[in-house]
Amino acid sequence: MNEDERIAALFASPERAPDEAFVARIGRAVRAEQRLAAARRTAWRRFTVECAASAAIVTAFDLVWRLAPAELDLTQLPAAPAAAAAVLVLALWFAVELRPAATGR
Amino acid sequence: MDQDSVLAREAAAGDAAAFTALVRAHEAAVRRFLRRLAGEAADDLAQETFLRAWRMAGHYRGDGRYRAWLMRIAWTQFLGAHRAGGRRDAREAAAPQPERRRDPDAAIDLERALAGLGERERAAALLCFGEGCSHAEAAGIMELPLGTLKSIVARARAALVETLEA
Repeated sequence: MNEDERIAALFASPERAPDEAFVARIGRAVRAEQRLAAARRTAWRRFTVECAASAAIVTAFDLVWRLAPAELDLTQLPAAPAAAAAVLVLALWFAVELRPAATGR
Repeated sequence: MDQDSVLAREAAAGDAAAFTALVRAHEAAVRRFLRRLAGEAADDLAQETFLRAWRMAGHYRGDGRYRAWLMRIAWTQFLGAHRAGGRRDAREAAAPQPERRRDPDAAIDLERALAGLGERERAAALLCFGEGCSHAEAAGIMELPLGTLKSIVARARAALVETLEA
């Protein structure tokens, strides 16, 4: 037996069965990573959709404002109370959705 | 294409069961390498190694053994942990753990001989003598030029022989 074989023989370990407890531990960690990744994807998708929706609403308001005649009195419109209520609901929705705690969902 | 490459491809596609099969096939070798390299920190490093392998599953190109790819991650994890831990007494911190062996005297001899090596010499010896890696494979794992790796293995071999014969 040469030196390399002698050293290799010293390093040789008896074969053992897989450590199922360790394998299960890694499996749990991998599943946790998968759940985290899925939650992250969902959060990004939701954030993107809400950004797009917000941009659309702001653009719509801007267009309405530009198209309205200068002498128009908004309070005289027949649907003014309903529109005012809708704007209030929209403002509340913005406040709830964009507050810092809401981003952690 | 070998079994590991098939499983690695499935794991890269998000198949956790395929990855679990890879863990089952290679955990003993990875933990043995890390235990002899890092001592008590081995199991935590092994867990980090496998989690990193899962996250980077798409990076395995199948141009070498999957086990060698894992060993490369394990070595990187060891170096990162070792550097993060500062330069505290490396010999003490990384004292190899004795393996359950057939011959307890041989285990003590090997432990003593490994403890006398620097971390690069120890890793090179573990890969080439313990895990059956070729020099080229070990050089890839340790990200060293082949000539440098061969020099390190030769130094490690000489030191091991000297310690074992003392």
